[in-house]
Amino acid sequence: MKKYAKDYTLNELLVVTTAKVIHDYETLIAGVGIPTLAASLAGITHAKNIVVTTEWGTVNPTPRRLMFSVTDTTVNERAVALPGSQVIMNDMQNGRLDLGVIGGAQVDRYGNVNSTMILDRETGGLKTMLPGSGGANDIATSAKRTIIIMRSTRRCFVEKVDYITSPGYLDGPGCREKYGMPGGGPEIVISAEGTFRFDPETKEMYLATYHPGVSVEEIREMVPWDLKVSPDVRETEPPTEEEIEILRLLDPSGMYVGSGKKILKEGEQGNFGVFLQNMLDSFEPMGRFVKRYD
Amino acid sequence: MQSNLPPRVENKKSRDKVMTAKEAVSRFVRDGDMMLSGLQHSSVALVHEIARQGMTDLTLLLDSDSGLTAPLLGLGRVKKIITAYCGGGNAGNNYVFRRAAEQKIPREVEMEFYSNYGIALMALAGSMNVPFLPTRSMIGSSIAEQNPRIRVIDDPYGGGTPVALVPAARPDVCIIHVHRADKLGNLQFFGHFGNTDIFVRSAKYVIASCEELVTTDEIRRTPNQTIIPQYNVDAVVEAPFGAHWFASNYYYHNDFPFGAYTLEKWRTEEGFREWCDKYIFGVEDWDGYCRTVGYERLWKLYHAEKRFLAYGEVR
Repeated sequence: MKKYAKDYTLNELLVVTTAKVIHDYETLIAGVGIPTLAASLAGITHAKNIVVTTEWGTVNPTPRRLMFSVTDTTVNERAVALPGSQVIMNDMQNGRLDLGVIGGAQVDRYGNVNSTMILDRETGGLKTMLPGSGGANDIATSAKRTIIIMRSTRRCFVEKVDYITSPGYLDGPGCREKYGMPGGGPEIVISAEGTFRFDPETKEMYLATYHPGVSVEEIREMVPWDLKVSPDVRETEPPTEEEIEILRLLDPSGMYVGSGKKILKEGEQGNFGVFLQNMLDSFEPMGRFVKRYD
Repeated sequence: MQSNLPPRVENKKSRDKVMTAKEAVSRFVRDGDMMLSGLQHSSVALVHEIARQGMTDLTLLLDSDSGLTAPLLGLGRVKKIITAYCGGGNAGNNYVFRRAAEQKIPREVEMEFYSNYGIALMALAGSMNVPFLPTRSMIGSSIAEQNPRIRVIDDPYGGGTPVALVPAARPDVCIIHVHRADKLGNLQFFGHFGNTDIFVRSAKYVIASCEELVTTDEIRRTPNQTIIPQYNVDAVVEAPFGAHWFASNYYYHNDFPFGAYTLEKWRTEEGFREWCDKYIFGVEDWDGYCRTVGYERLWKLYHAEKRFLAYGEVR
């Protein structure tokens, strides 16, 4: 009998939900943050034989501390190979990577994702500049399947994205095939409100699960098109106590799953003392977990 | 100021390429250059020196940028950015980039977007001396649709699917920060290296700052690590902690709180100016930056790293 956690954050729910989409023996490409946390969680719980790559060219890093950025020393800590970024991308374009995880600011009904720019509704001019693709376009094009994580709430679902940074199914069935995209396209969108999957025939997004405390009606109102709902729609499975315990070990300062980032920003030159102590403190407990690959 | 600098002369055959950052930048960087820099092996030391020497009208070629080149952008030294990503990563928003794009502050900057793989292939094409390379990335997205430099063609061998062509990049100058170098310019990388192996080979002039200068005999002990052999390199600059606040594999972790603090300061134009006045213009050189950040902090980062990583050992 599973024991579900009573207290958890939205980001913890997103990590746990993402981890469940990862199958054992898959090769992943994961960005640093929620995707790498989800991969670590999956590796500890149900997918012990996954291979995790990062777009900066590392394979199976198993650091004993939290990753902050893809260039960090942690991203090559205890790695098994460091082929370089372009080589990992070659491998992905060649069909070697099973699963990619991307995010963005807008998503539409065919799973196209925008992480480049938000346009002004009235003038059509640039309103908000976002950082851009990075490797997200490459992952969306070539990973066999992709998970899309939308952390910003409400307005991220749009009829048509302002800019297609990462292609989903574009205008519907047949588009990816026409362009010769090696990857199969998005499998699931995990948002702050629920999870969404894609109809195999029409390629249109439908509601699969709603998160605890959110109703189907609320989600349908939030989405600007006539969102289809799975006949089997149900509540998203909440995190178990064990999953939350593992997550708080992986991210003890709550950098990704809590309010830890705020603390690190405090003061002149940031809070270096807390940062360094967290890093050193994680050596022992994380050391126990990394042994799973040996 | 820059018009007084003499024409550049290649230094790739020199037997002693060691020089100060001041000398390297004044010998190998010019107004109007296309300057290449990667997310990995970020030479903050060289970016700050370029900012101090006033080079302007630069075109930046970047795979991804988490704040490395923002000082040049915010000071109005950049006329064009060619990139896949310009943000702050997990440390925050890059408001310098946002101000330039959204409000043309401090000047209008032309922007050309690709994906990470696209940028890597542009440099690879440049390093191979071929005019373009094909990829399956970017096709069907707005990146290819809105960037006329990306050409989508049918497979000329009749494979039946289109490919996207990206143009070769031949940047004037590439700046990087490596782990070890000798005076001949053999550059050793430790740990992962993103796209730096390709980038260095595509540029006409290469300046490398390094954590440590070592003898050529020391380099010979681990020739596998010499990702860049000497004939690619024009200048070697000793700059310990030269990637701070970013990471340097086996030397120090990313100083995340300093990065988050910095991005927060850059949220306003005034904050950005104050930061530059303190950390770039308020000091003479990279040693001055390190003293302002505090060597005690830097050495703590260095020693913390030794607990987790030592080259050739599984700790």
